[in-house]
Amino acid sequence: MQRNAIVQRQQVDREDAELLKRVQRSDQRALATLYDRYAGVLYPLNLRVTGSHEAAEEVLHDVLVHVWEKSAGYAPQNGSVYAWLVSLSRSKALEKMRSTNQKRKQEGEGSGQRVNSNADLKQPAPETIIALKGYTEEVRNSLKSLSKLELRLLELSYYEGQSQSDLARMLRIPLGTIKAKMRRGIQKLRQASTEEAKRP
Amino acid sequence: MKTEERHAQLELCIPYVFGRLNPGNRKQFEAHLVTGCELCTRELSGLYEATTLLPLLLRQEMPPTGLRQRILSRASSKKQEQPRAERPSTQREAPVTPSTHPESHWYRYAAAIIGILLILALAFFVYQLVGTTVSQEKKITDLQTRIQQKDEALAIFGAQQLEMVSLAGVEPGSGFYGKILWDSSSSNALLQVAGLAAAPAGERYQLWMVKEQKYFPIVQFDIDSVQPNFLKTLTLSVGEKREVEGFTITLEPNGGSTQPSGRVFLRGAR
Repeated sequence: MQRNAIVQRQQVDREDAELLKRVQRSDQRALATLYDRYAGVLYPLNLRVTGSHEAAEEVLHDVLVHVWEKSAGYAPQNGSVYAWLVSLSRSKALEKMRSTNQKRKQEGEGSGQRVNSNADLKQPAPETIIALKGYTEEVRNSLKSLSKLELRLLELSYYEGQSQSDLARMLRIPLGTIKAKMRRGIQKLRQASTEEAKRP
Repeated sequence: MKTEERHAQLELCIPYVFGRLNPGNRKQFEAHLVTGCELCTRELSGLYEATTLLPLLLRQEMPPTGLRQRILSRASSKKQEQPRAERPSTQREAPVTPSTHPESHWYRYAAAIIGILLILALAFFVYQLVGTTVSQEKKITDLQTRIQQKDEALAIFGAQQLEMVSLAGVEPGSGFYGKILWDSSSSNALLQVAGLAAAPAGERYQLWMVKEQKYFPIVQFDIDSVQPNFLKTLTLSVGEKREVEGFTITLEPNGGSTQPSGRVFLRGAR
């Protein structure tokens, strides 16, 4: 990853930390700025997990309200504000998806029509997050080394909460291969996030 | 923990981050994290940061217009919670841990101090108020007692057959004087004395009736130093009133004596 992209990301992280401090002081403009920065990433994430625009919107609402009400729960030493937001969003989206599926099962309906935002993966993305624009491009370039299967396994696991055993059954691939491919995919993800930091 | 066991725990980091540990393993793994294993903590932190890259690969899309305003409206209508540690979830959904934010605490400390000062001021005010009330109540009681004494004295003054026995200080120049007003038609009487100081501790003044050269105790009483003109209503049950020769006031031990034993202050003959 290019050094300027990492520097840009570090600058964004510092700004985010400052924004969160302002949120803790009940500054609504800071909350609005966080929304403007990350709604464009969190909303597609929620959409990918829940498969519904309505649910994705609801989850994003809940995440931002959580940030407003419980921002004191964020600990900078454990990661960036962005990582916190993404983790929160994914967790709430998975919860929403499971509860919706459970409800549908009880009502005897199918899994419903899911919006497959993954289909858009290979299309050029409209960059709505100006602050992370360069960084996002660098991440994409770094993750080109991921094989289709590795990326598919990571996505199914991350967005749909599939276990490795589930994946093995669903894709008819030996469990050992699933584990090895996922481990390798994660290694590549980690390299993408840290390789620049290792450079002198 | 042995190296191979720690390695086994490291194997759990990935399914933990992806939320795929069964409850038993999850509990065991979280208990392990609580021990402060640096290896696993570092591994987890790296995994969390790495997985947050995945959403950047999705096609970015802004939510429908109106959501931003709804969130901000909700924020303006709902106050933030007090900073406190978020309970770690069963799956580590977010790298959140208890944290302190001193820069956001100063006004809470200031508010707490102001609150304490207000409470102390209020307590002091209440204390003063209670003290004043008690003092006022005592004054009212004293006034009521004196009014009652005067009413009783007036009733005796209004009696048809009133006798008076003057009392004088036994020692010349003592300045003690007094009188007993006695309603001959009833047992009611009024004692008035002036010039007596408050009795020493453990002693009280005692009024005696003298009849056939014998002393009969009537009543013990206290002199309040702030009340120079002392009045006390009495009931004199003396049988044949004409046998009464006079009255004497002495200082006796608290509880009274059957015969005069202390210093004689006032004496009066009929």
